[in-house]
Amino acid sequence: MGHFSDYEADQSRLYNMGHHEDINSPESKAKIKSIWKVTGILTIITIVEVGLGLSLADKMGDYRWVLNLGFIILTVAKAFFIVSNFMHLGDEKKGMKLSVYIPLALFIWFIIAFLSDGSFWLDISSNTGLSTPAAKIETLKK
Amino acid sequence: MSTAAVADSKSKWMGGESPFHLSYGKIMMWFFLMSDAFTFGAFLISYGTIRFASPIWPDPNMVFKAFPFAGHANLPLMFVSLMTFILILSSVTMVLAVHAGHCRDKKGVVKWMLWTILGGIAFLSCQAWEWWHLNHEGAWWGAFRDGMDLTPVKGFFAGTVSATDLVVHGADSAHKFFNFFFTITGFHGFHVFSGVVFNIMILVFTMNGVFDRKGHYEWVEKCGLYWHFVDLVWVFVFTCFYLL
Repeated sequence: MGHFSDYEADQSRLYNMGHHEDINSPESKAKIKSIWKVTGILTIITIVEVGLGLSLADKMGDYRWVLNLGFIILTVAKAFFIVSNFMHLGDEKKGMKLSVYIPLALFIWFIIAFLSDGSFWLDISSNTGLSTPAAKIETLKK
Repeated sequence: MSTAAVADSKSKWMGGESPFHLSYGKIMMWFFLMSDAFTFGAFLISYGTIRFASPIWPDPNMVFKAFPFAGHANLPLMFVSLMTFILILSSVTMVLAVHAGHCRDKKGVVKWMLWTILGGIAFLSCQAWEWWHLNHEGAWWGAFRDGMDLTPVKGFFAGTVSATDLVVHGADSAHKFFNFFFTITGFHGFHVFSGVVFNIMILVFTMNGVFDRKGHYEWVEKCGLYWHFVDLVWVFVFTCFYLL
């Protein structure tokens, strides 16, 4: 019992083999109901996103960033529902959740660093004309 | 009492037990998906960097407005919304397959895996149509690279873009946009394709009673994690390319 090689080869001990859920039990039905509920939420969020994209995208002017922020919040909400409900990360032990979430926090740096690099590059090139190919400047002069 | 607690927490990490109460395969699937998230993240962030560095950028409402069999009707975002909905639904049928596996309901697993595979194939077909359509409009990897002729790219930009900007940056922006578009949706589509292959394997194993003999349906869960991840990535691709 409990020998390491056992554990590598036979993972069935992680499953309660003698006891399994019945697909027709009330618990099972409640789970299926909650799956369809999450489906409804994901669908509604997508419809709201598309609705906003169609109705407001070209009317926001300088406040386009407000709309974009809204899109990002809705996207992260969708991602959260998929990861915690469909992938069951919400039901895993705390240590497992942290070993997935903590490395992903690197994205905060990743996004800020690279997007600011992009806007810095635009700033330089539009002040120096470096982004305009010489041949095109010739075309413009004509 | 306290020594017992210490001994208990120590023994959890001494082998012979799973501290996270997860099998090796499932933990490694999570870590693989995490690394894959960084690959997709790097792609999407580089798209963002180039977009931030560009004075003008194609407008998704102008680029993605076609629908199969709708001729020249102007239907922005409709087709991609349908694709998104198909992928969400196939994620749902996958959770239902995983749930049926927990209950060792072989018939249920077969039924929901079939729907999931069908959803995956439907999504890939939609993507094939979208690629074909954009290619028909002149877009591809490397397209518009040296474009001095603005006719093919003009239609991709919003009417508010100035004529000067269009002449100077139009072709270059469209070139970059489509390089990223085909690379990222292609990489995602390849993931969907692999997922469909894995799902077909799971279906065949289920029908042959492999999991009944094993005593559990864990493979369905592992493939389920992968399949949901593919849906998750699409949620971000959808936002970055079609909404922002």
